[in-house]
Amino acid sequence: MASLFNQRIGKLLPVALVLILIFTAFGGASAQDQVNLRMTVWDLATTPYWQALVDAYTAQNPNVTIELVDIASAEYQNVVNVMLSGGDDVDVITVKDIPGYSGMLTRGQIIPLNDYIKTANIDLSLYSGAAEELTYEGSIYALPFRSDIWILYYNKAIFDAASLPYPTNDMTWTEFEALARKLTTGSGADKIYGAHFHTWRSTVQLPTVQDGKNIVIAEDYSFMAPTYNMVTSMQHDGIIMDYGELKAGNIHYSGPFKNGQVAMLPMGSWFIGSLIAAQNKGEFDFPWGIATYPHPDGVKAGTTAGTLTSLAINKASKNQDAAFRFIQFYSSVEGAKVLASLGNLPAIRTPEVLEVFAAVSGVPAEAQTALQTTTVRLELPMHPNVGSYEQILNEEHELIMTGSVSVEDGIAEINRRVAELPK
Amino acid sequence: MSILSLKPTNTHPSKRRSQFTKLAIAYSFILPNLIGFLIFTLIPMVFSLILAFMNWDGANQISWAGLENFSQMLRDETFRISLGNTIAFVALNVPLTMAASLGLALLLNQPLRGRNFFRTTFFFPYVASLVAVAVVWNMLFFPSAGPVNSVLSMLGVQNPPRWSASVDWAMLTVVMASVWRGMGYYMIIYLAALQNIPTILYEAAAVDGADTWQKFRYITLPMLTPATFFISVMLTIASFKVFDLVMVMTGGGPGRATNVLVIHIFNTAFKEFRFGYASSIAMVLFVMVIGITVIQFYMERRWVNYQ
Repeated sequence: MASLFNQRIGKLLPVALVLILIFTAFGGASAQDQVNLRMTVWDLATTPYWQALVDAYTAQNPNVTIELVDIASAEYQNVVNVMLSGGDDVDVITVKDIPGYSGMLTRGQIIPLNDYIKTANIDLSLYSGAAEELTYEGSIYALPFRSDIWILYYNKAIFDAASLPYPTNDMTWTEFEALARKLTTGSGADKIYGAHFHTWRSTVQLPTVQDGKNIVIAEDYSFMAPTYNMVTSMQHDGIIMDYGELKAGNIHYSGPFKNGQVAMLPMGSWFIGSLIAAQNKGEFDFPWGIATYPHPDGVKAGTTAGTLTSLAINKASKNQDAAFRFIQFYSSVEGAKVLASLGNLPAIRTPEVLEVFAAVSGVPAEAQTALQTTTVRLELPMHPNVGSYEQILNEEHELIMTGSVSVEDGIAEINRRVAELPK
Repeated sequence: MSILSLKPTNTHPSKRRSQFTKLAIAYSFILPNLIGFLIFTLIPMVFSLILAFMNWDGANQISWAGLENFSQMLRDETFRISLGNTIAFVALNVPLTMAASLGLALLLNQPLRGRNFFRTTFFFPYVASLVAVAVVWNMLFFPSAGPVNSVLSMLGVQNPPRWSASVDWAMLTVVMASVWRGMGYYMIIYLAALQNIPTILYEAAAVDGADTWQKFRYITLPMLTPATFFISVMLTIASFKVFDLVMVMTGGGPGRATNVLVIHIFNTAFKEFRFGYASSIAMVLFVMVIGITVIQFYMERRWVNYQ
């Protein structure tokens, strides 16, 4: 027994020594300001900008290495929540959406950046309002780097065939509906739909908050009735595809547009990149354009809704200062240019940045004017209970759009259920 | 068995020590499994049980909630709807799956040409990817141009159901997919039981002049009761736990039409971050399943025939 024990020790000893050496080597390096940052991202393989920005930063800062923690986008927030709840010390957290941001913020998992911003003297007005949207009770917990806005995509071939002028950058939803009705032709497999509303709640609900008088977290949702009436009547008349079928068939919005079945598609600017890639691959060959998101009557043209992608620092991070320097680069004009050169819309949209974006091959010529916005409203505002609201809105949206309840009853149901939420 | 039942007695020290060694060796055999069971099943279960009486958002301090989570359940409309939907799913899925699997087993127990091919074919849905199954079912039942509704309109049905896109039909659509998916597995159990019935019984009945129906009613069915009992227990438990198929096919919708309890637990925990409340719903589900299983075992002696 004893001899066996000694044999074991004899074998393990060299391994242990090597391990000790490795640890001391790393320990020694960190004393010379060698920092390794870990950052959570999604869909690394199909999203080129993650690595591009890391490379741009580490080229300037050779003492920093950045390790990207790749997570599937559909599961992103769940995984991050589990990581943070488990005490993971990942340094930089990419904030995918506002509900995720609100959640991490109210749970105290990300730190306020105000002192860092003050010390680094960052001009928050560069983000044209985005920084204010991320401010909660006077503190800002993330810096925006990417900002997608809702725009209108259109199939030029369908407009040309109907001899109708292309959508302008100043179009009301009423004009949009009238135009869609004119563009709808044919039947069966050859049918051309005037417009397309994807199954997301936001496709119908965003136009209701464009005027800035209401937000999606409300007590009385009757302000949503006019848009719901418009969309359901378009659906009833066959101007747009049937919601139930899109849902049952799990049909992605890119399909009908790329197949040339729809003339106009209100969608986020993230779709530009995918469309360019699809066209380069030869998936479709018709010319397409983009215009500003339509607006309600009496609201200034260029008012749209958007989402923010931002960066926050984990409270449990051991390298918070280094993490902030990285975030600062990521969300700067310099970072924005890297992002724009890959066909993504950065949160900073100065003319010089937009120029870089427009120069990307395949971006429609209209981009520079169509992407100029006057006001961007957040898709979902900050609210500690935003998850519960979203759940109710999603469920009732589905009921209204499948015709299970009338617009009026659906909205009454939202009001009733929201009133019962624990405050 | 003898190892586990040994108790340390006041025998000779060396004998006691050898008993201890035996016990240690015995436990070391089950240790790998036991560790997995403790870490992945028992500890989370106990934690969830405790959490049912707490408030926890997954990050901040856990605070005591007492019975508040349970009283909240009484006021929670989505809980009531989900409970009703779960019961509806169980009530439809269990008998339909049992009938379908028994029918298949009887059919494929006949000396048919290509019997093994059909047995494999019917078992296939059970091992196929669930997401693929759900997507294919949604395509089959596509409201306008799907094969099912095309056939229905050819047969002269004026307004064919809108299946998973309709509040009234969504649950039935999910149940049909679930029956189709599960019947092959339970068919195998029935087939095994059918082959265990001694042919001598049928021969004796034939001599007495019994017809096919009588043989089925008085020999096959009673001889299958142990399998039927096993299937009914397993299927009931599985049906109460239904989540994946519903999640992929309808996501609980339209609205809350197919929102079953486990979906409600998932949404409460991972979308609203109310882990305490979610745990308390999970506990109610657990107690319900245990309760029904106990009732099933209690009823067992009345109808199950162990020959």
